[in-house]
Amino acid sequence: MKNYTNGNLRTFIKAFLIGCLLMVAKTGYTQTDSSKATTQDTTAVQAEQPKPATKKPVRNTFENMWILDNQTVIVPIHKTFQLDFMHRFGTWNNGYQDFFGLFGGINMRLGFNYVPIDKLLVGVSFTEYNLTWEGYAKYALIKQTQDGSIPVSATYYGDISIDTKEDPNGTLYPNFSDRLMYFHQLIIARKISDKFSVQIAPSVTHVNSAQGYLTGDTASDGSKIVGKSMHHDHYAIAFSGKMKLSNTLNLLVNYDQPLTKHITNNPAPNISAGLEVNTSSHVFQIIVGNYRFITPSRNNYYNNNDPTGYHGISSFLIGFNLIRLWNF
Amino acid sequence: MKSKMMTAIVLIAIFIAAGSFTFFQEPKPWPVPDKYSKMANPVKADAASADAGKAIWAKQCQSCHGKSGKGDGTKAAGLKTHPGDFTQASVQSQTDGALFYKIVEGRDDMPSFKKKLPDEEDIWNAINYMRTFKK
Repeated sequence: MKNYTNGNLRTFIKAFLIGCLLMVAKTGYTQTDSSKATTQDTTAVQAEQPKPATKKPVRNTFENMWILDNQTVIVPIHKTFQLDFMHRFGTWNNGYQDFFGLFGGINMRLGFNYVPIDKLLVGVSFTEYNLTWEGYAKYALIKQTQDGSIPVSATYYGDISIDTKEDPNGTLYPNFSDRLMYFHQLIIARKISDKFSVQIAPSVTHVNSAQGYLTGDTASDGSKIVGKSMHHDHYAIAFSGKMKLSNTLNLLVNYDQPLTKHITNNPAPNISAGLEVNTSSHVFQIIVGNYRFITPSRNNYYNNNDPTGYHGISSFLIGFNLIRLWNF
Repeated sequence: MKSKMMTAIVLIAIFIAAGSFTFFQEPKPWPVPDKYSKMANPVKADAASADAGKAIWAKQCQSCHGKSGKGDGTKAAGLKTHPGDFTQASVQSQTDGALFYKIVEGRDDMPSFKKKLPDEEDIWNAINYMRTFKK
């Protein structure tokens, strides 16, 4: 039987390396980018001299830790507490009948995040779909520096989710471990200029319980052989970007591409875009995309809103992320 | 009966009128330690610094202090203390170090930015941008 895992892993590694090469391309971000002078008092402005670049990390590759449905490379500053309120409406499939999903199916998530030590974020969240609890951690491995000595920032994100919805007949989750999913992601980003940042994030999702089917064959002991419709492990890659429109408004774009080929029920890609408004203590993102589950492992493994499929534009939905920050 | 009703109407009108205006407390003196008064701004006041300061101002300061530092931000009306008019000499005559102290420490309605802006360069950049409000 063809080994799907090795083939998928090769594809995954190729996509990852190509993405890394694009990321470190010298597109010329330095802290000495000249900017249009905005000062009114000319006596306060000295002749423009190139500011010496330093080894300090670049600022604001992204404004916060979320880019639509994905994590960014950002870990908030030490002792930040962050509350996430995330909402996804239904798809546009029913048109006016449920007002393009706004009055249709919904999914919501409450997230509680804290940065106990520098560069490390830990969090817990609760999502309406399947009553999913998540525990997760995020660590900033390296940060892009102003002098370019480190050309990219890289962060690891790990997430464990557990479905807690009822299963009175024991058919959905015969074993407790069937409720668990795992998600690992390496996020690599580069601030190209003051107005433009990009990010690439390969990931692997592991589900304990994969869908199976009766092959019709029988084993030597008489038991029926069950085949797997989907692999336990699923590889994917996300491409994201931010464009600064003003000091408080950003345009966000994102594309998630599944890499693993399953026998059936292959998850669909995700195309998403949105606007982000930032203030001192709040972030608001309005989203248009295909992902509805919010839980990253479920989005990557089970997304069936296919923008390239029959429903086309009707596979999109609106959502928002509302974030509140406190600094202690 | 008619005069009592008129009195009641006038009192209600005065009550509504009084509640329609914002009354700020008189600004208290804000002494600054000598260490900060004499502190020099290590960041050159060039266009790049002003640009960086403008971004910080828009995100962290504008909602109270207003786009041009006149104290007319969207949240200003809800404050007990007027955010101040930074275009005036009363603010512009203060040293960079004094402004730095007030931003870092905060007082009453003015929050401390010690934790929110741990990189001091951000605060100095904001101060360089504040100098552009000068009339």
